Amino acid sequence: MAATVAYKDRQLLAVIGDEDSVTGLLLAGIGHVTNPPDAQRNFLVVDAKTETSEIERAFQTFTQERKDIAVVLINQHVAERIRHIVDTFTDPFPAVLEIPSKDHPYDPEKDSVLKRVRRLFGE
Amino acid sequence: MEGLFFNVNSGYVEGICRGYRNSLLSGQNYSNLTQCETIDDVKLQLGPAYGDFLASLPPNPSTSALAGRMTDKLVSEFRYLIAQSTGATAKFLQYLTYGYMIDNIALLITGTLHERDTRELLERCHPLGWFETLPVLCVATNIEELYNSVLIETPLAPFFKGSLSHQDLDELNIEIVRNTLYKNYLEDFYKFVNTDSDFSGPTQEVMSEILQFEADRRSINITLNSFGTELSKQERRKLYPEFGKLYPEGSLMLSRADDVEGVALAVSAVADYKTFFDAVGLNQGGGMGGMGGSDGKSLEDLFYQKEMDMSKLVFTRQFTPAVVYGWLKLKEQEIRNVTWISECIAQNQKERIGNFISVF
Amino acid sequence: MSGAVGREPVFPTRQSLGLMKSKLKGAEIGHSLLKRKSEALTKRFREITRRIDEAKQKMGRVMQIAAFSLAEVSYAVGGDIGYQVQESAKQARFRVRAKQENVSGVLLPHFESYTQEGVNDFALTGLGKGGQQIQRCRETYARAVETLVELASLQTAFLILDEVIKVVNRRVNAIEHVIIPRTENTIKYINSELDELDREEFYRLKKVSGKKQRDVAAADAEIAAARQKEAEKKAQAGTPAQEAKEEEAESTDVLGEQEDNDVIF
Repeated sequence: MAATVAYKDRQLLAVIGDEDSVTGLLLAGIGHVTNPPDAQRNFLVVDAKTETSEIERAFQTFTQERKDIAVVLINQHVAERIRHIVDTFTDPFPAVLEIPSKDHPYDPEKDSVLKRVRRLFGE
Repeated sequence: MEGLFFNVNSGYVEGICRGYRNSLLSGQNYSNLTQCETIDDVKLQLGPAYGDFLASLPPNPSTSALAGRMTDKLVSEFRYLIAQSTGATAKFLQYLTYGYMIDNIALLITGTLHERDTRELLERCHPLGWFETLPVLCVATNIEELYNSVLIETPLAPFFKGSLSHQDLDELNIEIVRNTLYKNYLEDFYKFVNTDSDFSGPTQEVMSEILQFEADRRSINITLNSFGTELSKQERRKLYPEFGKLYPEGSLMLSRADDVEGVALAVSAVADYKTFFDAVGLNQGGGMGGMGGSDGKSLEDLFYQKEMDMSKLVFTRQFTPAVVYGWLKLKEQEIRNVTWISECIAQNQKERIGNFISVF
Repeated sequence: MSGAVGREPVFPTRQSLGLMKSKLKGAEIGHSLLKRKSEALTKRFREITRRIDEAKQKMGRVMQIAAFSLAEVSYAVGGDIGYQVQESAKQARFRVRAKQENVSGVLLPHFESYTQEGVNDFALTGLGKGGQQIQRCRETYARAVETLVELASLQTAFLILDEVIKVVNRRVNAIEHVIIPRTENTIKYINSELDELDREEFYRLKKVSGKKQRDVAAADAEIAAARQKEAEKKAQAGTPAQEAKEEEAESTDVLGEQEDNDVIF
């Protein structure tokens, strides 16, 4: 498969989420800002004011343009807002993982991967 | 004698503040709060104390929104007090806000350093640390400009003067800048309450004690938190306020401490701190620190507890604006407590819900 | 079924019959191999699916604990550290390394988390107060992220396996329902064609031999007639003509026997 060569230099995690989730994950040390002048962050803080198009753009950047990201973490309620894109993205790399946030407990019914899992179990 | 003319100018402020104090949540309120099942219940329980401020919250608000509203009430009450005060009392209240200003300035410096749009940051600033020239800081686009033309206009300028140059802002970690400012602020505040002729007597006594405690707490915390970081001992020493019960011998020993035992040794001269360290001693090992067990109190908790006790004692004094300080701290702790409780409820972590500090 | 499948476009020769037979044999071996591969993968797949389900539930809990430790931080610091943390992030301390695992010839990636030593962007955060809580929160979150990374590798394996299993099953089904029946059909067709040819050949031979017989018979009759004339002439002359006639009858009998054998064949 083509993917087997592509993931060698994927080392980073990226995150799209609300402030608390991002802060926590950054504290864990996943934050990475590329060298200037083209400084790119691997995280995006989403609040009520963030435009959906901005989330979409960040998601596209993390999943398609950047070749150093192995896992994209995205808050489930944020993923809900760009569900059509998340659902259509089925490449194995980078892995897109929906995570719960503080104010939005995890709902397995909405997870695109878990939906497939459930379907395979015939539920 | 000092009480004779105090009430002419500041009696009203003190009276109002004592009134505010009575609206603080009591142990009974807290035990009601801990029984709540949802944030809505919490909101309901807070109704008598916070009234209108919570009315505009949506059903089941987030804890941060709740805390925000509670802070709004604190701010509006404090602003009222400031507006009513005159003379030395007004200056005293101004001093109380400087601590928040330091945080705001640190935020804006961070933003400027990273070339972010600092206007967005204004919303994140603590409202108590708001001053008129704060928005002006956003005009500056680089750090030198910020330092030379704008920071000198702020009330915090004296704290910058002499200890921080604009290169420092650029090179030093923002935390060091913040702590340097805070050290200068505490020292200045301490000098102010000790030298101002209007504050002889109760204010001087009570505020000296509180500020000394605050200074010692910062020194101890900075020492504990700097283990394992690139902060050198010399730099660390520069951050210790130069007064307090630990100063000078304790500070010197703190500056040489390499581990928790060293810190414990350094503070052993002061009975209060020694008790704290003995209480948490077993949990402190290995740099893990913090919350030892689910019910064990951490050092920070004990410090908070002590601070609250002192703030409460302030109310036994009369003819002093220090009650405002006490009220402000109590109120802040109350907001933290409620945030903690609602956080526990929201996240279903009820076993830790008792981990707040109730004063009354 | 066989009608829809059709057959290979080959000439019905014995050579292509041999080709088809070996092709059928190959297809059968391939089918059983692929079937086994698909079973192995499916077994693995089911295991992963079950683990994903578990890990997702676990993640919910872990993230909740982590979020709670962040609440502890904001309680201890008494303020918002989010912005500062975002701004001081520079180098990733927590990274992942990808390894490969071979499951029945499918390479599954496996993420392994590791921490880059010496990188610490937040060492001084919370210096004044709350530093200990922040350290603790970092550890909690680091553990949570490890769980997330594990889940991520499971999920990637899930997606790849899903794809591979689909491909393998498609092949298995193609062999089972298309290639094998079609080859069988072709073999059947070639056989029937060959039989047909055999029959035609036999008929032709029979025709030829019948004609030959007729010709022989006619020639015999001619000869017999000629001989009879001669015999009549000789009879008028003497007896030897009788002997020759007897000899002739014997030789026709031999021919008749051969014919019978042929019919049996």
